[in-house]
Amino acid sequence: MEIVVTNESDIFVFAIRGRLDAVTVPELEERINQWFEQSGTKLVFDLDGLDYISSAGLRVFLTTAKKMKARDGKLCMARLRDNVKDVFTISGFIALIPAFETLGAAQDALQ
Amino acid sequence: MSMLIKQMPARVESLHDLLTFITAEAKKKGFSEEARQQIELVAEEALVNVFVHGYAQNQGQVEVRCSASDDSALTIEIRDAGVSFNPLSLADPDLQPDLACRKVGGMGVFLIRKMTDQVAYRREGDSNILTMTFLNR
Repeated sequence: MEIVVTNESDIFVFAIRGRLDAVTVPELEERINQWFEQSGTKLVFDLDGLDYISSAGLRVFLTTAKKMKARDGKLCMARLRDNVKDVFTISGFIALIPAFETLGAAQDALQ
Repeated sequence: MSMLIKQMPARVESLHDLLTFITAEAKKKGFSEEARQQIELVAEEALVNVFVHGYAQNQGQVEVRCSASDDSALTIEIRDAGVSFNPLSLADPDLQPDLACRKVGGMGVFLIRKMTDQVAYRREGDSNILTMTFLNR
């Protein structure tokens, strides 16, 4: 897994590539926990490069969404591949975290 | 019917090797990429359950058996000798669409149920055995 964090003004984008599973999830958790040490309130998970997600990954997304809500922030996702979207749909997580077709649409939603 | 067996320490460091073993079998059987991704996901959920709940201090082994019958179904058995535990006894999680109410966890077994064609648990001697079957459509 590879995580690249960028920001445009106050919107932060985590581009997550590769596999998000029980082995790799601690790395994402650590990066997110670091990010939460700052006071940001706008976060996008760009999943264009994400090949695979399991329940370990879903758990991090859910805890992140809850933390964002607790600080009146917003989390959304962009560019889910079909197999990743299936996991979000079956688990009902698609109703918990807004998902957009393009990164631009996700960023617009956070403006 | 052929059967392939792989045994490894029941800890997360074994996950990728075991998944590679399983998906290679699925590929040999001609499962589509989409189907293989579902098989891989279900296998991870079942294996991680064993890693987390099976043994105290990661001291045990997990065994994966892949058997392929002529009707092109793939059956995966996951065996451990940890504490007696039937994951299928867990209630489905509440798929609460409200973020504040949605509980963290419980998704692994739910995904196993949703993405297998058949799943069964049995306790045999000192072993937990989870059997999952996937049909090649």
